[in-house]
Amino acid sequence: MKSVSQVVASLSHVPGVVAAMVVGAVDGLIVETSAVLGATDGAGDPRKHTAALAAYLYAKVTRASNAARLGKPAFMRLEAEKGHICVVGARDVVLVTIVTPDANLGRVRLDMMTAAKGDQ
Amino acid sequence: MTSPTVAEAWVAAPLRRLMEDARLISGVLLYPTGRAVGQFGFSNAADVMSICALTSAINASARELGRQLDGKPFYELYHAGAERQVFMARATAGGQEFLFVGVFDRESSLGVVEIYFAEFQKALEKLLPEKQATVPGPSGDFEGELNRSLDALFGPIGKR
Repeated sequence: MKSVSQVVASLSHVPGVVAAMVVGAVDGLIVETSAVLGATDGAGDPRKHTAALAAYLYAKVTRASNAARLGKPAFMRLEAEKGHICVVGARDVVLVTIVTPDANLGRVRLDMMTAAKGDQ
Repeated sequence: MTSPTVAEAWVAAPLRRLMEDARLISGVLLYPTGRAVGQFGFSNAADVMSICALTSAINASARELGRQLDGKPFYELYHAGAERQVFMARATAGGQEFLFVGVFDRESSLGVVEIYFAEFQKALEKLLPEKQATVPGPSGDFEGELNRSLDALFGPIGKR
């Protein structure tokens, strides 16, 4: 099983991933994070906000999924104007990536789900 | 959710936004002296009085503990209970210091509370009236200050 550092390092090297994070599922705090690809000093760091709100959103999506009797969500992707936020639950943590619009989402999804299963 | 009641009108909007965005159950904004500035989620002045006194004391103890253990004061405290969680932090605006204590449950998270508290602090900085910058050092009349702020929040004793 990979360590959280290895999970973050491997996800951050997937083409199109701007930042990869392991976040506490309950508290929404960052456990491990990569640097933000292409970040400039002038722009604010998006990671803390993204981590807290993505974990919060994933908790709500889990409730919606359970309410619909669909079971635990496997993969959550939020499509926005300038990219995507992808989230996968892995026991006590969630994996969060910020992804560019032109990224290979299939690869991102596969790598995140593989990392969440911890079998690679 | 109940609307905040405030002793100083300028904190009402940021306090309401913090309450709603961070999904807090209850909270009190106060001066480090224990004087309440605003609150939400409480209907009883005695509860707010206890919270102000305890928060003020905890803040003083935590600062000293931080100095002893880490060489610098602790400014933020968090306690995770079985059902409810408590977040306590200081906010500064224009050189004036405030303390905030908020309670939340599983409908929110520490990460969410932290990010909206940071926005709350920025809002306080922006809205702080000029005259507040010099206010208020401890007068030594802790009980009097506390009672006056509670009167402002809940009305005078006998009319509550």
